[in-house]
Amino acid sequence: MCGIVGLHLKNPALQPELGRLLVPMIEAMTSRGPDSAGLALYDDEGMHVVKDVGLPRDICAAHGIASRSGYQAVGHTRMATESAITPEHAHPFTPVPDLALVHNGSFSNHASVRRNLAFDGITCTTDNDSEVAARFIGREIAGGADLEDAMRMVLKEFDGFFTLLVTTATQFAVLRDSFACKPAVIAETADYVAMASEYHALAELPGIADARIVEPEPERVYAWSR
Amino acid sequence: MVALNEVGAEKAVEELVKVDLTTTSVRELNAELHAPTARRYEVHNPRGAEAIAVGLHDAVDVEIHGPAGYYCAGMNMHADIVVHGNVGTGVAENMMSGSVRVKGDASQSAGATAHGGLLVIEGSASMRCGISMKGVDIVVGGDVGPMSAFMAQAGRLVVCGDAGDGLGDSIYEARLYVRGSVASLGADCVEKEMRDEHVAELTELLARAGMSHDASEFRRFGSARQLYHFAAHNSAAY
Repeated sequence: MCGIVGLHLKNPALQPELGRLLVPMIEAMTSRGPDSAGLALYDDEGMHVVKDVGLPRDICAAHGIASRSGYQAVGHTRMATESAITPEHAHPFTPVPDLALVHNGSFSNHASVRRNLAFDGITCTTDNDSEVAARFIGREIAGGADLEDAMRMVLKEFDGFFTLLVTTATQFAVLRDSFACKPAVIAETADYVAMASEYHALAELPGIADARIVEPEPERVYAWSR
Repeated sequence: MVALNEVGAEKAVEELVKVDLTTTSVRELNAELHAPTARRYEVHNPRGAEAIAVGLHDAVDVEIHGPAGYYCAGMNMHADIVVHGNVGTGVAENMMSGSVRVKGDASQSAGATAHGGLLVIEGSASMRCGISMKGVDIVVGGDVGPMSAFMAQAGRLVVCGDAGDGLGDSIYEARLYVRGSVASLGADCVEKEMRDEHVAELTELLARAGMSHDASEFRRFGSARQLYHFAAHNSAAY
């Protein structure tokens, strides 16, 4: 089990509030992933990544996340199932500039995909299955694919369970596998798109009572651009 | 609003107890509901919290004002529970009796493995609605997602809107009624004739659920009984 949160701000007036809005979201996902956590925040200077072991509350406090501004962020709380608990194994995985991937689930054929990537000269730095997906998407994008197309390629190449949230400097995209056992909920208002593993991570967002709430369908890429 | 710790050890029967989940924990709420001092409860500010009003076994009325999280009203017996909002995964899972009404939408696995009672979802339900249902009646005002009624064993699932892919996969003896389109049927699920007794039971179910549709607008689906019935001609293979 892991927890995912993401926030893509459409209203620039909310940008100074990015960190303040994000911290309760990731803290709400503590029960889904208490061993480590990570965040990627995007502002006009680029993508900033924080990953550490411990509780989301402590990691956010140590890095002053609540006071950060920006236009987009993803967060992840990890309950490790298949590799060690270290900052390097924490999500998000950020294999190429401005790309961040967070994953809830497990890939069963990551070793095969890892070998195929190695033939292309792309090596992983950890034995984490999610890193393989991040590097796979990174390769597709480096080859000219749009993020949505790259995520559709994940459906062809990977076996296993996944809810993925992937961001670039301009895009915010969600994808679930064909069984969609790993939870996801998306809330959209005129001001933002927010995504989380469970609704209660979104419960404190402004205007949530009037947001359009959808549960992403299996094998469908949901994407927003700025 | 009465705080739970003010209800008192005497267990005086209150007419209505209001509980605010910003000041009372779900655990405290459920402990009160398991040994109720009142006939009626209102729950405010649920903010998507998990396991609200789980494991009730008394005939109390519970109204939840706002969105509820996972497993809301799970394992219910006898209680009548209304959620004025959306619910997360597994609403009314393993319900035995009583009723659960959701005024909004429901996430995955609504009514999973439920043995009895009535689950009404006025909005739509996501994937795997009624998975492994064992006798519950489920009425959905909108649509249901893919893989609904998977391995459904008994009970009735009524869908007033459309059903997603793989409806009734590996179904046993539950009866499925769909008013709109069915994206595809799962293994061993087939359309069946709507006979008079089906129109009658569906009319009664729609009325209990407060839905105004005419039962004649629905189609019926059930098991082809090819998967789970032992075929005598295969006996030599064992």
